[in-house]
Amino acid sequence: MPARISKDEFDSEVLGAELPVLADFYSDSCIPCKRMSPILSQLETEYADKIKIVKINTNFEKELVEKYSIQAAPTLILFNKGEEVSRIRGAAKKDEIITLIKEQI
Amino acid sequence: MYDVMILGSGPAGLSAAVYASRAGLSFAVIEKEYMGTGQIAYTEQVDNYLGYCGIDGYSLGEKFREHAEALGTEFIEGEVTELSRTDSGWKILLSDGNSFGARTVIYALGASPKKLAIPGEEEFAGRGVSYCALCDGAFFEGRTVAVIGGGDTALSDALYLSKTTAKVYVIHRRSEFRASASLVKKAEGTSNIEFVLEAVPLEIIGEDSVTGVKYTQNGTEKTLDTNGVFAAVGSLPNTAVLSGIAGLDERGYVIADESCVTSAEGLFAAGDVRTKAVRQVITAAADGANAVVSALGCINK
Repeated sequence: MPARISKDEFDSEVLGAELPVLADFYSDSCIPCKRMSPILSQLETEYADKIKIVKINTNFEKELVEKYSIQAAPTLILFNKGEEVSRIRGAAKKDEIITLIKEQI
Repeated sequence: MYDVMILGSGPAGLSAAVYASRAGLSFAVIEKEYMGTGQIAYTEQVDNYLGYCGIDGYSLGEKFREHAEALGTEFIEGEVTELSRTDSGWKILLSDGNSFGARTVIYALGASPKKLAIPGEEEFAGRGVSYCALCDGAFFEGRTVAVIGGGDTALSDALYLSKTTAKVYVIHRRSEFRASASLVKKAEGTSNIEFVLEAVPLEIIGEDSVTGVKYTQNGTEKTLDTNGVFAAVGSLPNTAVLSGIAGLDERGYVIADESCVTSAEGLFAAGDVRTKAVRQVITAAADGANAVVSALGCINK
């Protein structure tokens, strides 16, 4: 299961990461987020040495929500070398996410 | 070749799975959403399903799913793109190219939220325009939001949002609500909810994100300042693949009575897709049972 990270770890875990990072901005009350959870776990295993996946709880990480103008849960942002390279607002199908990942690996 | 292929994993489909299992039929459930339970999952609280007063919709859906799983239900992930008659029953084609054969089909694909169909809606989707108050409400903490609609969903959303936002407007095109009297009363008694009635939304405006809604009221064009717009203007039945296959009414619902029998032999409609007076979890669950009994009749013929 992807690890949950806080704003203090964001710079090192996401922006400073060697591999592309898929950041899942989720909220506790969001059903599509719950539905995405097993899909992200599968991707984490299937692309284990290619990308990193982290989760950010939007209920607690207001600064990151503000910084990345998140207004929908889930929002998936793919970062590569510290830069945002793509974003999906709302729930996504596994294939859609794979397409974005493949652009970066 | 299955005896019954159940399309949809909402309350109607899961109930059909339970009855199909108990009837000893070979069956599977095809679902668009992996591990889904249909629209019920998106309801904050369900107070009218017998035996579970006050349960949240997600948990109720999970209970339904666990029940169907416990009785050995096979789930297949996929979106149905085509249904066609064969000599022995039906062929079900999925978007990934897989196809399945079944003697009968229980069509329980439910309904999806209707779009507002106004300028700005697509542009600001996920940037202030939302179809899920439970998902996105928290991003509007302390801000102003507008809910568009007048049914149970609109007023439940308004009540949910009123807990964390500064102000909730409910924009509704009529003077009366379709929502249940108890919800209307609760909303009326909530100090930060304000009704904007006989108001027809025209456009959602903004820059990087939503800043307001333009609407007309009594022939005058007005603008309401708001940071978020929550659309709750009802739902549309997911019956596109049935066109030319089974009789639909003018709004797209499958014409069928309580027996769930449609104009197409061996195809049964269950849940919110069917023409009915009351679209609730309890009537969807009842349809699942009726549809299996009707399918059994067809198989044993």
